Amino acid sequence: MEPAEKVDRVERVTNLLLVLLDAKVPLTLEHIVHTVGGYPESHDAYRQAFERDKRLLREQGVNVCVEEVPGRDVSGYRVDPDEYYLPDLGLTLEEQQALNLALAGVAMDDQVGQGAAWKLGVAESLRSVQTSPLAALPSAPALPVLHEAIRARRAVSFRHRGANRTIEPYGLLFRRGFWYVAGQDRDRQAVRSFRIDRIEALPVILEGQAFEPPADFDPAAAFPADAWLIGEGQAVTARVRVDPVHAGMVEAELGSTAVVARNEDGSVEVELSVVNVDAFRSWLFGLLDHAVVLSPESLRAEVVAWLQALGTK
Amino acid sequence: MSPQLTVEARLRRLLAVLAWLSRRGAGTARIAEVAARFGMTEAEVVSELELAACCGLPPYSPDQLMELMVDDEEVQADLGPELSRPRRLSPAEGFTLAASARAILAVPGSDPDGVLASALAKLEAVLGRRESVSISLDDPPLLELVRRAADGSEQLRITYYSASRDEASDRVVDPYHVFSSGGFWYLDAWCHRSGALRHFRVDRIEAAEVTGESFVRPEGGPPATVVAPGPETQTATVVLPSTAAALLESLPTVSVTVEADGSLRVVLPVGGEAWLARLLLRAGAGSEVLEPPELVGAEVRAARSVLAGYG
Repeated sequence: MEPAEKVDRVERVTNLLLVLLDAKVPLTLEHIVHTVGGYPESHDAYRQAFERDKRLLREQGVNVCVEEVPGRDVSGYRVDPDEYYLPDLGLTLEEQQALNLALAGVAMDDQVGQGAAWKLGVAESLRSVQTSPLAALPSAPALPVLHEAIRARRAVSFRHRGANRTIEPYGLLFRRGFWYVAGQDRDRQAVRSFRIDRIEALPVILEGQAFEPPADFDPAAAFPADAWLIGEGQAVTARVRVDPVHAGMVEAELGSTAVVARNEDGSVEVELSVVNVDAFRSWLFGLLDHAVVLSPESLRAEVVAWLQALGTK
Repeated sequence: MSPQLTVEARLRRLLAVLAWLSRRGAGTARIAEVAARFGMTEAEVVSELELAACCGLPPYSPDQLMELMVDDEEVQADLGPELSRPRRLSPAEGFTLAASARAILAVPGSDPDGVLASALAKLEAVLGRRESVSISLDDPPLLELVRRAADGSEQLRITYYSASRDEASDRVVDPYHVFSSGGFWYLDAWCHRSGALRHFRVDRIEAAEVTGESFVRPEGGPPATVVAPGPETQTATVVLPSTAAALLESLPTVSVTVEADGSLRVVLPVGGEAWLARLLLRAGAGSEVLEPPELVGAEVRAARSVLAGYG
């Protein structure tokens, strides 16, 4: 065991940060590990330890720049103070409090939210602000990466349900409990959306030319409102009769414009545009025996065949 | 020292403490105050500040170290102005902040031109891309009424559709807390009919009216807002076709085993036969309930009852 390993890593990283911030010129790796205490002796070990510390700092929002050391043919490291500090947001006190309340009111990633509040200058625990969140949002490791790619206008590639995708990401959308990323799919040459919890590993931000997003892109409009509209293929209009038990709930869900007939027994008939039959069936069966597909005949027959296959052993 | 805290979390917290001390200028702060502000124990404050007192610039001579004198009662600090400037947000922090603000603005009834909206606009101007995060939350018809009743501690009489039993019933509830999770709005309420705390999905409340009575919330604040299965939950074992894997993604399962033929053997908590029927109908041919005995054949019963509507 080397004595250097006994130094607390928080101490080593804090010292590293102070040295990099103070540097007027890029510092070589050797200079850094010999002046900042706590790095192992051997080259491979200190190189690895430094890379880990650099990654840690980057995850905290500290951009460690790699630049050529003047007059020498090696690269060095420093932190540009202009990039280290948050530009003045010009928030009023009320605006700052509103952001704090928003962070406290949304259950997402508590530690990250607390870090953001601290950086905005709130020296209080968020939990003391409000005890019950108003909304819970799922967090996923891919989200900040995609958000950063959108900000930097860089293409990303990822594996999604067994396929490799490269997209120019335009926006993130949260809908019905799930996060989606929307963007131009480079292979399919069309705007597509992907459910983020189905991305299999961290997306990779591609180096290269920044893309120009469409000026009028509206992520909310890029997603069809209903699951049965998401997908590819020709849309058919399905007419469904919903019995009185669920008529009100279905009307509230689809909107009154979807109702094409109101029957005397209290049932309603609604029309939906269907692209994705799986999603449509899932919605339909959520209503159990309170809903029947009236037309088109092909869709009705498909539903009947599905039920017969399940109901006969 | 908190052994459960990661280096990342400790560093983030330490830099926040140093920024706060720096903003106060030269002087002393009580350890207890730092502990309370940053959610730490006093021992943690002392040990982290002692560590920071050894940090500085090479050659680490006393004049190059942070000006921090720590004892058990207070810390004397003279850190200079540099550390007090707010630091750049990490990608994760920027995203969490933007998403949180967007989520609150998506709550039906929020002021789209209020203080939070202007704060978010300033933030997004710095973060780069405007409107890159869009959040839409469900807006069931009775949400506003239920939220108003919870805010005003007013008792409600509701007609609630139970998806697990596929029936609606009336009950009187004390609405404690309304929140959005997993794409739905929920009401945490004391149910007078069952004499217990219940979660209700707001979109399944078919009718609601205030009774005119008010209620007092129990001490200790509202309960944790975790959607837990109700007390009537039982566990079932079902076989589903391989194509049903996507259906299971958003369901809590006890275990999922892939059989030799590719089918899935799933053990999961079920909220009643009607609840299970929806899963079986969606999974389709090849689905079968193995246990418990009273749910065996649920797939056939479900398929036949829906087929009856097709004459």
